[in-house]
Amino acid sequence: MNPKHVLAVVFAFLLVSSASFAVDVGAQRPDPAPFSDTIDMGMTAAGTVQARERGIEIPRAQVFYSQYRYVVGYHGVTSLVDELGREGHARQFGVPLTIYVSDYANAQLQVGDDGFLRQPDDASAYVGWVAAEEAYFVVGSRARTPAGESIVPYSSKSAAEEFADEYGGEIRRWDAVRSMSFGTGAATREAFQQEVTSRHSWADERVAETEDLLDRPVSVVVGEDAPTLSAAVEAAPPNTTVRVPPGTYDANVTIDKPLTLRGAGNATHLRGDGNGTVVTAISSRVAVADLRISGVGGTLSAENVSTERSGQWDYRVQLGYGYGDAGVTLDSANESLVRNVTVDTPANGVVVRWSQHAVVDDVRVNGSDNWQEGFMGVMVMRSQLVVQNSTFVGGRDGVYTHLSDGIVVRNNRMVGEEGMRFGVHEMYTSDALVANNTVSGADMGVVVMTRPEGNLIVGNEVRDSYSGVNVGGRASYVAQNVVVNNHYGIEAPSKTSIYERNVVVGNDVGFRASSLIPTNLVTENDFAANDEYVSSTLGPLRVWTADGRGNYWSGAPGGDTDGDGVLERSFHPSGPVDSRVDEVSGAKTLANSPALSALRALQGVVPGLRPTGVVDEAPLADPVRPAVVAAETGGTNATETNQTGGAQ
Amino acid sequence: MNRRSLDRAFAVVGRELNTVVRTRAFLALSGGFALVVAVLAWTAGAIGYVPLVLDLLTPVEVLVPALALAFGYRSVLGDEERGELDVIRTYPVSRATFVVGVYLGRAAALLVAVVAPLLAVALLVPAFGGVGTQVIASHGATDSPLVYLRFVALTSLFALVLMAAALAVSTTAGTTRSGLVVAIALGVALVVGFDASIVAGLAGGIVPEGGLDVLLALSPNSAFRGLVLETVVGGIASGAPAASPAASVVGLLGWLVGALAVAVLTVWSGTRR
Repeated sequence: MNPKHVLAVVFAFLLVSSASFAVDVGAQRPDPAPFSDTIDMGMTAAGTVQARERGIEIPRAQVFYSQYRYVVGYHGVTSLVDELGREGHARQFGVPLTIYVSDYANAQLQVGDDGFLRQPDDASAYVGWVAAEEAYFVVGSRARTPAGESIVPYSSKSAAEEFADEYGGEIRRWDAVRSMSFGTGAATREAFQQEVTSRHSWADERVAETEDLLDRPVSVVVGEDAPTLSAAVEAAPPNTTVRVPPGTYDANVTIDKPLTLRGAGNATHLRGDGNGTVVTAISSRVAVADLRISGVGGTLSAENVSTERSGQWDYRVQLGYGYGDAGVTLDSANESLVRNVTVDTPANGVVVRWSQHAVVDDVRVNGSDNWQEGFMGVMVMRSQLVVQNSTFVGGRDGVYTHLSDGIVVRNNRMVGEEGMRFGVHEMYTSDALVANNTVSGADMGVVVMTRPEGNLIVGNEVRDSYSGVNVGGRASYVAQNVVVNNHYGIEAPSKTSIYERNVVVGNDVGFRASSLIPTNLVTENDFAANDEYVSSTLGPLRVWTADGRGNYWSGAPGGDTDGDGVLERSFHPSGPVDSRVDEVSGAKTLANSPALSALRALQGVVPGLRPTGVVDEAPLADPVRPAVVAAETGGTNATETNQTGGAQ
Repeated sequence: MNRRSLDRAFAVVGRELNTVVRTRAFLALSGGFALVVAVLAWTAGAIGYVPLVLDLLTPVEVLVPALALAFGYRSVLGDEERGELDVIRTYPVSRATFVVGVYLGRAAALLVAVVAPLLAVALLVPAFGGVGTQVIASHGATDSPLVYLRFVALTSLFALVLMAAALAVSTTAGTTRSGLVVAIALGVALVVGFDASIVAGLAGGIVPEGGLDVLLALSPNSAFRGLVLETVVGGIASGAPAASPAASVVGLLGWLVGALAVAVLTVWSGTRR
């Protein structure tokens, strides 16, 4: 062996590898990505769809992070600024390497009377991208987005000044803009809890407001003062009660004035002819109470309906879902009440469309055995109302909401005896409160779709379903829920949401982290006796620890020697060893080996560049809700201990 | 060093390389190291170079000292016990030339054993396929093969320092047994002892926090770790700097030069026989 050659090779390698220190890694700026290829942040689906339909221009941003491999796109520069300031953001994503913002220098923007930005219909006008450090931002102008204040970026100072001269505002550079705050981010835990309380009291007020509808004087008694139900409704003066004594009545009646239709409980039976809706209210302040309804038509989606709303972007959804047959339909019937009504239906139980501040209380809907054949227990279309204390057996969805921001669905029971699709199904609905409902035997217990925001999913209990709670969208609050014996306990496609104090017991997969972008805060949840603690197939490693506290994982190895309630050893519930400590004998011994500890020590350092999974750096030593966990793992019913908040 | 002594040094290098290649134990140790690195890299499923560095940092910090001491502690000691050193001293070769020759030979062998597996596992990163979706636009973040190359370069420097230390053990020890004891003691001190003393010093208030990065530079392991964290991960993780790079480099070079000087001075005493 010629030593000179060996030494020459070694020396050459050392020389070449040393050169790597001379190169500045990551100094080159990547090209902007097509916005549709980025991960979408900062606005609801309803918001972006409406903005597009109305031709509203929303300044965008896209960010290349040091520790996250996907390009993240933001609707609104304001939402980017707020997200950059969010606690834990830098921990998961690293620092922004490059930020591009919309460049309106060649867009000839105009601000309309409604305050929204619009681009003229001109082939020469276009929106480009400019690096944030090089941009001039117009802040505090008249321009707005549907989500609030708007910041308008320009690549040229003169174009920015021109805009500011016309529409107000001042020009700032990126450093100054970045340190601002616009309130588009997710609320804090305390704010969410306060919101839960205030939504409950809002619902209490609605219930109290409709209470006096049942105190109206009786003007007509069916069978005594009028021969038929329709005749009685026609004869009765407004703001009185039509009494329906025990007996069976042929119905299909329309109430077109503020009237109370009140039976004597289940003994009063309104029988439809099997076509259409049995009781339809088209006036404000109608009450339908204390009776039983059958003979509902079987139409799920109306085919021969047309309304003057054909210009609205969701018109097809309105027709497809809002005009099926029902036991009771409230149509533009604000502040109306449906109480203590039992409906046997092959279609909907109650349909509520364009009826604000209505209340559906203590209703029982017996839907189809096979959910594919039936429809919704309560179908809510663009109405902010209260659905409470009701029972839904079978049918497709217990409660379906479309564009019904601020709806309250609480203390209901959804039972899929032979199967059911969803317990509570929210579509395009933001700021809803779904509290203390019990669902069993459904495909999904509570599901929030179509990227809304600000939903509060609190204190629900879902058992024996395919998926317990599945919340999409952003800035939502999922807390105090109990999910037991489902395939997936909790699924979280959401962004920037808080998941806390949930009890996840006995599911095939406890928690399915299904968002590509790890912005949810998941802490103080109890996981016990699930076949698999968590699963994630997308995105990078998630860190489920905040302020030094993580979640409770039954069987997590390690000790709490300093008594602060937190195990000293971090826990990797998706890892090959830790995921089995609760079941495989010996896994715990392996999990405590120094070799494994040494290897794990640096695992949480660059989560954004790690394979997908979950790591909890401060697992809790004891359950957060020990009574519920003990009751659920012991197999007894914990209904009493799970009620949270309730009607306050 | 003139031309003639350079040729003599190369002769010593060649002799050492032959010794290493013919010693099955060295081959077995190198194979073991390669296997450990390969298994760790495989199980980590690293989809980036920076995570791979973090996964390999601790094992490298423990295994490279062990490997270096195993390669080096008997280098001169063996010659001495077999009486070959006495023969070598009859040749016209100075202490410095001999020590540098032995060092270069052994260090070259060690570098090959350490660097080859590290470079090989880097190929796993593209093999694991990175980000895993075509739908969303993706980019490299601050991850790059260059940062991994930095890690390998720093590991090489670390190995060179440790080989010098192993050589110093070999020249100072009188018997195989004492050589083994000193080598093990040095290994433990490197991996645990120095850092534990610094922690104890911090806890006891003897070491001021301001002097920490200088003090860390004195421990080869900490200096190496600090350099890796600073130059490889530094641009990514935020917070206080991991170490003072200059102090760490000076510390490592100090160990290198100091250990070689000790080896030259103690390889044999007095003049040539």
